[in-house]
Amino acid sequence: MPDADVPRPLAAVLCQALLRLGVLGALLCLAYVGWLEWTRPEDPTRSEILALAARGRIGILLAYGMGFLAFLGWWGRRRLLGKRYHNAEGLIWAIVIVGLLTLAIDSNHNYFYDPRSSSIEIIRQTTYLGIFALGAAVVIIAGGIDLSSGSMIAFSATICACLMTVLAPEAMRAAGDLPWYVGPAAIGGTLFVGFLVGTLHAWLITSIGLPPFIATLATLVGLRSLGRALIEFTTQEVFGSKTTQIQIYDPEFRYLATSIWIPLVIFFAIGIGLWLLLAYTVVGRHLYALGGNEQAAKLSGIRTDSVKWLAYCIGTLTASIAGILYMCDQSVADPQTLGVGYELRAIASAVVGGCSLQGGAGTVVGTILGALFLRTVIDGVAKIIKTGSDVYEGLIVGVVVVFAVAFSQFGVASAQRRQYFPGLRGVFAIFAVVFFAGMIAMVAQGLAAGAVVAGLAIIALGSLKGVQAARAA
Amino acid sequence: MSVATPIISVRDVSKRFGGVQALSGVSFDVQPGEFHAICGENGAGKSTLMKILAGVIDEYEGEVRIAGEPVRFSGTRAAEAAGVSIIHQELNLVEQLSAAANIFLGREKRNAFLLRDDAAMRREAAKYLGELEADFSPDDPAGSLRVGDQQLVEIAKALSLHARILIMDEPTSALTESEVERLDRVIAQLRKKGVTILYISHKMEEIFRLSDRITVLRDGQFVRTLDRDKTDPVEIAHLMVGREIEQASHHSPRSPGETVVSVANLRLPWAGRPGRWRLQDVSFQVRAGEIVGFAGLMGAGRTELFECLFGANEMPFQGEYLLAGRPARFAHPRQAVKAGVALVTEDRKRLGLVRTMNVRENVTLSSLKEVATVGVVNPRRELGKTSETIQSLLIKTDGPEAPIDSLSGGNQQKCVIGRWLLTNPKALLLDDPTRGVDVGAKAELYRLMDRLCREGLAVLITSSELPELLAVCDRIYVLREGRITAHFTREEATEERIMVAAAVEAEAAAVIS
Repeated sequence: MPDADVPRPLAAVLCQALLRLGVLGALLCLAYVGWLEWTRPEDPTRSEILALAARGRIGILLAYGMGFLAFLGWWGRRRLLGKRYHNAEGLIWAIVIVGLLTLAIDSNHNYFYDPRSSSIEIIRQTTYLGIFALGAAVVIIAGGIDLSSGSMIAFSATICACLMTVLAPEAMRAAGDLPWYVGPAAIGGTLFVGFLVGTLHAWLITSIGLPPFIATLATLVGLRSLGRALIEFTTQEVFGSKTTQIQIYDPEFRYLATSIWIPLVIFFAIGIGLWLLLAYTVVGRHLYALGGNEQAAKLSGIRTDSVKWLAYCIGTLTASIAGILYMCDQSVADPQTLGVGYELRAIASAVVGGCSLQGGAGTVVGTILGALFLRTVIDGVAKIIKTGSDVYEGLIVGVVVVFAVAFSQFGVASAQRRQYFPGLRGVFAIFAVVFFAGMIAMVAQGLAAGAVVAGLAIIALGSLKGVQAARAA
Repeated sequence: MSVATPIISVRDVSKRFGGVQALSGVSFDVQPGEFHAICGENGAGKSTLMKILAGVIDEYEGEVRIAGEPVRFSGTRAAEAAGVSIIHQELNLVEQLSAAANIFLGREKRNAFLLRDDAAMRREAAKYLGELEADFSPDDPAGSLRVGDQQLVEIAKALSLHARILIMDEPTSALTESEVERLDRVIAQLRKKGVTILYISHKMEEIFRLSDRITVLRDGQFVRTLDRDKTDPVEIAHLMVGREIEQASHHSPRSPGETVVSVANLRLPWAGRPGRWRLQDVSFQVRAGEIVGFAGLMGAGRTELFECLFGANEMPFQGEYLLAGRPARFAHPRQAVKAGVALVTEDRKRLGLVRTMNVRENVTLSSLKEVATVGVVNPRRELGKTSETIQSLLIKTDGPEAPIDSLSGGNQQKCVIGRWLLTNPKALLLDDPTRGVDVGAKAELYRLMDRLCREGLAVLITSSELPELLAVCDRIYVLREGRITAHFTREEATEERIMVAAAVEAEAAAVIS
């Protein structure tokens, strides 16, 4: 235990300075790159483009270098002072390190040569994921779980497209421009439906007494199916022929998503709103109390049922917003394929960001960083293996969740000097880990790589088991 | 006691949890076949020591010898194999499984075909349960049994393990009087078989009734082992606390004012038992500035009565309930809070505290609106209220931001009381407020109640310990099976009279009719 009164060693002061310098420097470099983008001339000449690109690369490289210095400072300070670190800090460094690794390993060095489109891609994906991950986080903090967000995204896109079809059938059929009121009306209607689904969840859970898992599992399965039926019904009624999807042509409506700024602003508005709600309001405190101990919260005079209603409505409303944005982005409402499995990514972001599935713990900043980390890793893998990387997304999410949560509990585990592979079960666990590590290496880099990784893993884990068993005995 | 090899010998055992030294250099011996009580305040390290002996904690410094053999149990199974069994305060039963299945959990018997042999386990379970005077079937699910019966299941498990040493951690804390008597007989039987018993308890009466020797721990250190015959409860209490406890009564002269709580003919239907009443014809009044106790055995309906007054009852009640002269009927605790009723619940961990939150958040939980402007919490005002509460209730904490779990039981309870005082209540309901609170902190809670009462609060209190009610109350109502059977003023009340009204009268009435 470090004592607060002991003067800090000089090395720690230096590390602290390094940390501050690094963070400041990295931010300045990023601001410089942003400024270069912002002031990019309308019709640049070839030499101007080359000059801009060169400056941009220098800025990016410097930013990463500064980030690395800051990491060294932070790490050193933590070693020297023995402080427990915050989950959010760990995530920031994890993001920096993943970025650096991608920069180095990617054979095209995209993060270096083309920072603009790389960062736009990551920001866009994080924005979409972040919006409904925040909703999932609020529900988790309140001690519940919302499994429905993937289907809710598909269902919201469906509702929005159907409303547009009903309001302006001619324009929708002819791929023409929509009257001005159609967009706002469709969006408003969709959000209202989101509110209704949230209310349904809260009603099933509080008044009927279903466990949250069951109530939202029902809508997870049900809403997607209902969306598909609704699209067929609407197109049959309006156009006279059934289709399974509705195309969105209106450029102004699509601009909602094609411009990166609008989703980003929406995301920040939701993030700041929820942050204020959770951190500074009475209702926010009640959400944490509800998740921490529902009975005690109720006996303290908190209207737990109303608070739950709010939490589930935030969960579905954010999914609705994400649904509209995804529809604009893909210019089609297709409930069969849109948002499949996204509920688990939202939950993964929240959990990686420090939300406890037992409820009562978690933050907005953590969840946003969790989503950003998830997207950075996915993007990094995509950059490195280049083609067909979407196959690996689920795998990446799974591995990231295991590592991130295991790391945040690392201190606890080592304090108990737990054996990772005890007894016969340990032997098979080693086999399981080696099997999957080898298989991942094989599909990524070929048979030989798989064999090498499996061999190395078996040696490493086997000796870990041996050392731990010897120490325990 | 002869000078045989001690069956348990603890030498220089130390244990740290993070920054807390739970045990430091504890050494003592237990003789074979004796009943050895372990005393100490909460946090003295009793439970930690017992967990080490039972293999629940396997990392510690020092040495433990069982019958002369140095041992270091790697888990409860290893301890059980060496003949050491523990019955935790919080029982470890799988509620959905039958009593027999719980007894043999993890060591299920198998027949010739390697299939589970339920019949054999059932037979053997029935044998052990019979020895223990159990009046339930081994097929009953553990969750459907009363706490006392669940404890018998745990004891039967120890018997089936042929335990030489049985550790009991506050076994009577949730038992009714008749269950305690039965437990006494079970203990006598175990002792006849030569089982050594290590017994943790807060209740002096029990310790002096049962034990041969008493070991006192304080702040993780061994204080002394005494023969029961050569000591008395005052000396033990003195050793536990390390200072004299004032025996003074915490009751200053009071002048009660207006009637605050007035209940007439209250009836509460029994959930799940149509046609039966959980509470029946309950009538009483409590005035401002007096402490009124509600005595009764476990299951007499004390908690249910308080829940009715607080709007936390599951079934709607009938009858009249006036709060400060106005009719009151709360559908949700929130309405009760607004009307000026506060309930400190019986089970602090489960129903009182939010353990993911710190002291400040726990204290201001019910009065957050008071420190907020249009729903936004003002951190400075919130901190101010918290600091005031910490100072006025003398809560010992590392500060308002300390995790609630870092506080002792008594200080946690003060936080809950502080939470309610911030709502400016007219009536304060305390449901067994000193349960699991150590001796010194109890006295502080009594002083606090006395002060609140003088400040004009109407205080309603239940307790599982009669002397406590006698010490603090102006008047005592006695509940039995949902009815009020007696009412005593402070001068009239004695332990015997209350016990008669709470328990004996039922049998007497049955004889008469």
